[in-house]
Amino acid sequence: MRFNLDMPKWKWPFYIMVHPFEGFEDLRWKKAYSMRVALVIVALFFIVSVCEQLMTGFLFNRNYVKIFNIVPIIVQTLVVFFTWVIGNWALCTLFDGEGTMKNICVNTAYALVPMLIGKVINIILSNCLQNSESAFIVFVSYLTILWTAILLISGMRTVHQYSIPKTLLFMLITIFAMVVIIILLVLLVSLFQQVYVFVYSIYTELLYRFSSLEPTTLVLIMIGAVVLVAAIVITAYTLYEKHQLKKEMKKLKS
Amino acid sequence: MPSIKRIAARAAAAVMAAVMLGTCVAYADEPYDGYNYDWWEDPVPSQNGYVVDKVITGADIGIGSLNEPSDMFISDSEEIYIADTAYKSTLTPNLKGRIVITDKNFKLKTSVEYLDFSDVQDWVNMKKEELAENVAEYQKCTDLYFDGPTGVFVDNDDVVYVADTANDRVVAFSVEVDDSGIGYGKVIRVFTRPDSDVYDAKTTFNPSKVLVDAAGNVYICIKSITKGAVVFSKDGEFNGYFGANRVEATADVLMNAFWKLIFTREQVKKMQRSVPVEISNFDIDEDNFIYTVTESKTVETDVIKKLNSAGTNIFINLGYSDYTFGDALTKYYRGQTYSSQITDVDIGEGGTINLLDLKTGRVFQYDNECNLLFIFGGKGSQKGTFTTVNAVESLGTKVYVLDGRKASVTVFRQTEFGDLVHEAITLFNSGKYEEARGPWQEVLRRDSNYWLAYIGLGNAYLNEGDFETAMEYFLYNSRSGYNDAFKGWRMNFIRDNFTVIAIIIVGSLVLVYVVASLRGKAKAKKRAEAERLFKAQNKGRED
Repeated sequence: MRFNLDMPKWKWPFYIMVHPFEGFEDLRWKKAYSMRVALVIVALFFIVSVCEQLMTGFLFNRNYVKIFNIVPIIVQTLVVFFTWVIGNWALCTLFDGEGTMKNICVNTAYALVPMLIGKVINIILSNCLQNSESAFIVFVSYLTILWTAILLISGMRTVHQYSIPKTLLFMLITIFAMVVIIILLVLLVSLFQQVYVFVYSIYTELLYRFSSLEPTTLVLIMIGAVVLVAAIVITAYTLYEKHQLKKEMKKLKS
Repeated sequence: MPSIKRIAARAAAAVMAAVMLGTCVAYADEPYDGYNYDWWEDPVPSQNGYVVDKVITGADIGIGSLNEPSDMFISDSEEIYIADTAYKSTLTPNLKGRIVITDKNFKLKTSVEYLDFSDVQDWVNMKKEELAENVAEYQKCTDLYFDGPTGVFVDNDDVVYVADTANDRVVAFSVEVDDSGIGYGKVIRVFTRPDSDVYDAKTTFNPSKVLVDAAGNVYICIKSITKGAVVFSKDGEFNGYFGANRVEATADVLMNAFWKLIFTREQVKKMQRSVPVEISNFDIDEDNFIYTVTESKTVETDVIKKLNSAGTNIFINLGYSDYTFGDALTKYYRGQTYSSQITDVDIGEGGTINLLDLKTGRVFQYDNECNLLFIFGGKGSQKGTFTTVNAVESLGTKVYVLDGRKASVTVFRQTEFGDLVHEAITLFNSGKYEEARGPWQEVLRRDSNYWLAYIGLGNAYLNEGDFETAMEYFLYNSRSGYNDAFKGWRMNFIRDNFTVIAIIIVGSLVLVYVVASLRGKAKAKKRAEAERLFKAQNKGRED
């Protein structure tokens, strides 16, 4: 493929793939960051991961495909990707990183392209090769992972305008930040679950108390009660504010 | 006069009742559910290969009740020997235990209640001199009665070897009957604590199980020794140890190994030594291979070993060390976790391996290639379930399980399904894949979860050269089988479609070349045009 810096946006990932170091610089200089292309790459990465689990040949498939579960794949691709982007952005904006969230997202996505291609090649190879030829598959997967790692380092360096050691350091810290984010998320989810259980127990309690009521009516009544309480609180607060304002006006006048 | 309607109703009711009765009988069949493991090591329900034939107690044999019997042996002459460990007699207070001998239908032959040392008087006199200061020990090893025998073995010449645990000895005797009709043992040889440097002076000698190989070597299993079984030669000479387990590589053990590199010799001496778990039971097969089992909740290395006469574990050399015996993993079932605790092993006809799990009371049956065939038995109080299992033996198609607490022997017989599987696996293991096809297909018709049948059928088709069907059978059942079938299929595919593949490859190469050259020409033309324009524009400015 021949590249001209005025190429269409979908060509950029391929250009960057074969020019790991100057590619990201050119992208930055040309301001050709495209969120749409990045999201397509991430979506493809997710789909290929699903295909990898389902379509890899039996000889090379070490997954538990007896029961297909999509949740681990979502976590391994989408969740990891977006926590990486958020974590990296949150950290590096504090430490003179020049990348915006969009730029980080695009660079990370573009860096994933070799791995994506490697996965597709491996799916095809695994259906054509036998056990003793597994070296090819191992070679392809190692090569593409290495390639992606180099691209990721180069991309992060360019987007934040860091030196290489600083990039590596912040990539490590980003992994730590990802762990923190995920722990907080789990905490949040469990908290909401508690709230849900609390509301649900009130609901059942009321159902027992007012057994003549229809469940739907009860739900409506509960929503009404919540709205009523909220309205009372809000009006009380506004009245209080008005009162305070009046007080201050008085003070000012005097 | 009853109407036709009423007659019809009555007939229908009768049929219904018959059907109900029939199903009731079928449901009251076994107190345990047959299951097996699939390729994923998940338990799947399966047909029962063994069902209860009968349960035999001491009263059925006709010798009162058995009292915590702890071992059972079936000799080559098809006699059943039961070590009745805690048996007590009101007549002789010294007597603690006896050996009950019956034929294979549990008809009493005799029961050995005392020993006769008249043939080995020289040895008794020698011991008396030797142990002049230690009278207690002398009395123990020349005791006329057993004291809690826990192991029994019978060799080809019907010489009985009994591990007389509390008396610290193993006695070899031939069975005789005295004038009053009571059985006794005419002692041939007594094996006692070896007087050797190799045998640690602090270690006790409490034999729990005993075994004799074809050469007459006596192997004694002792609970307090982790170096393996103690071996005596035919003449009663101490020959060393046999078949020690390896130490399991836990984190603790690895840490110890690390510290040993750093510490001085004095420090190492004070460290806790990592020792393997002792073997707890064994059996010997027709080809003189000794199978040992290790009864431990926590250890997973060397749970079962097949040892040759040099003491090398053959299961590892065959690459079977990854095999898990007993229940696949630690399981959580009805509110409690458990892992298998294999307490006895028996090698049956054609090399089938029966393992007895103390924890769950189940018998796991494997073929001689370590493929799981059947799981049967369980914990409980019904027929076919156990409280404390102690020994498993097999004779022909029957499997005998001895329960110590229930003091009974449960006889299992093969079901039709069991017969089928055994027929198929015997043919399969002797390489007759084609002949095994019929039985395997019948097995699959009865139980489509039966994993081995897929492998058997796959191999049959592979042998025949029908790679595509073989691949279907091997898919998610056997990786190595699938690999072989796939190799053949791919070879055939390439050979059959070689022209097409060659045309596609050559065609695409030519196409790429033509397109590239055309594009190159167009590009060159464009560039030449651009250059010409550039030159025309810049004419005159050149100097």
